[in-house]
Amino acid sequence: MAPTLVNAAFGALLGAALLGAAFDRRSVAVVVAAAVLPDLDAVASLAVPGATNALLHAVWLPLTAGVVLYWDTRLRDASRLRERAGWRGVRVAWVALAAFLVAGVGPDLFGSEGVNLLYPLGDAYYLVSGGFLFSTEDGIVQTFVSFGAEGSGVLPLETLGTTDSYAIPTFINPDGRPGLSLGAERELHLVRTGWQLVVVAAAASLLAIRFGRAGRESRAESTGDSAEVSR
Amino acid sequence: MVSSVVHAGFALLLAAGLLGEYYDRRALAVVLAIVVIPEADSVLGFVMPGAHRTVGHNLVLPAAAAALLYYDTRLRERSALRERLADRWIAVAWVGLFVHVFAHVPLDWVHLEGVNVFWPLRDRFYVLDGEVLLSTADGVVQTFVDLRVDPETGSRTVDAGGGGTTETVHVNNPVEPRDPDEVTDEPVERIFPVANAGWRLYLVGTGLFALAARRLQDRAPREDGA
Repeated sequence: MAPTLVNAAFGALLGAALLGAAFDRRSVAVVVAAAVLPDLDAVASLAVPGATNALLHAVWLPLTAGVVLYWDTRLRDASRLRERAGWRGVRVAWVALAAFLVAGVGPDLFGSEGVNLLYPLGDAYYLVSGGFLFSTEDGIVQTFVSFGAEGSGVLPLETLGTTDSYAIPTFINPDGRPGLSLGAERELHLVRTGWQLVVVAAAASLLAIRFGRAGRESRAESTGDSAEVSR
Repeated sequence: MVSSVVHAGFALLLAAGLLGEYYDRRALAVVLAIVVIPEADSVLGFVMPGAHRTVGHNLVLPAAAAALLYYDTRLRERSALRERLADRWIAVAWVGLFVHVFAHVPLDWVHLEGVNVFWPLRDRFYVLDGEVLLSTADGVVQTFVDLRVDPETGSRTVDAGGGGTTETVHVNNPVEPRDPDEVTDEPVERIFPVANAGWRLYLVGTGLFALAARRLQDRAPREDGA
């Protein structure tokens, strides 16, 4: 999996971009937690063979959550979530779902280790890798999606193997296979490459700016006139 | 260069998080312009060797711009900018600077021969390359900056990925697809990349996702807000 710190950074960026009026420390914490959540399937891999990047990275859980959320907030006459948590709760729930998919699963799917997207219904680790460019010699060249390629998966993407043949080493599970390997050397990657360091730095700076701004605004409101506050 | 499309994707994500109440099409257009304009230094390559990744891709000019902006809008009694521009455009200028420093320069810093970070103060290309990890065997390991102490002389050497200068480095780009000093008979192939790795496609997609999500959100009725 992409380093969890990178998932968290993308979650923070998405939260800052999408939370709008619901932006505060608590809601950002919820969104970042949702972005980190998929990586917990590495814990399950200690018992379930090949659960890393499969169990919580598959599309079914977020798909179900999305359908339930849509049904509750849009189709039902009275939304339970809105009654209990208000407009803010609905907004945070949608952004957390987006963070789970885009920031939690996305970097792994487009990164180095791949995601078992359809697990457990289909068993293949998919990876989006390739290039998309225009060359004056060769015209448009696109190698991300290849139809009719050899592989174990049903999606037209590069496949890395199945839960039997492909194991992802993590800090929690250094050999990627069931069972505790207590003596093994463990490595927890914070950033694997330069661009991930860039994303983490950008997310940290952006959050600092946003929280600083929110702090100034709340101070201004508490000292400002009441008309300004009620607006 | 990392394709401008990739810069733009990451820039959109950052801008959506920073623009706040000033988020609209005109502000985004300005931010995107700020993302694209530095690439004009690839055209300067015809008159100044090594101009690409140097003139528009350093951290010295943005720092100077930030200092000027801060001095003019915060410290001076009468701000020349505030007299001409509304508050929103000053805010957009700050966001543009942020995007340039975090979405444009550093993404090129990690790519090919890197960028000329400290130009015009110092003429040297740097590449940001490495990893940071915690290992149960070795503790904290980082390979971005290589610190070495010579055991005999005790002198320290710091390698932060420094490379050549504007004299020796040419970063290929669609305007000058190969080093002008190189003489070959091969036909010129100009490559305009859109996204040449999965993570670059991901940055493009995430930016577009943020844009689309903001549009969907704005359709939600406001009156049911808390």
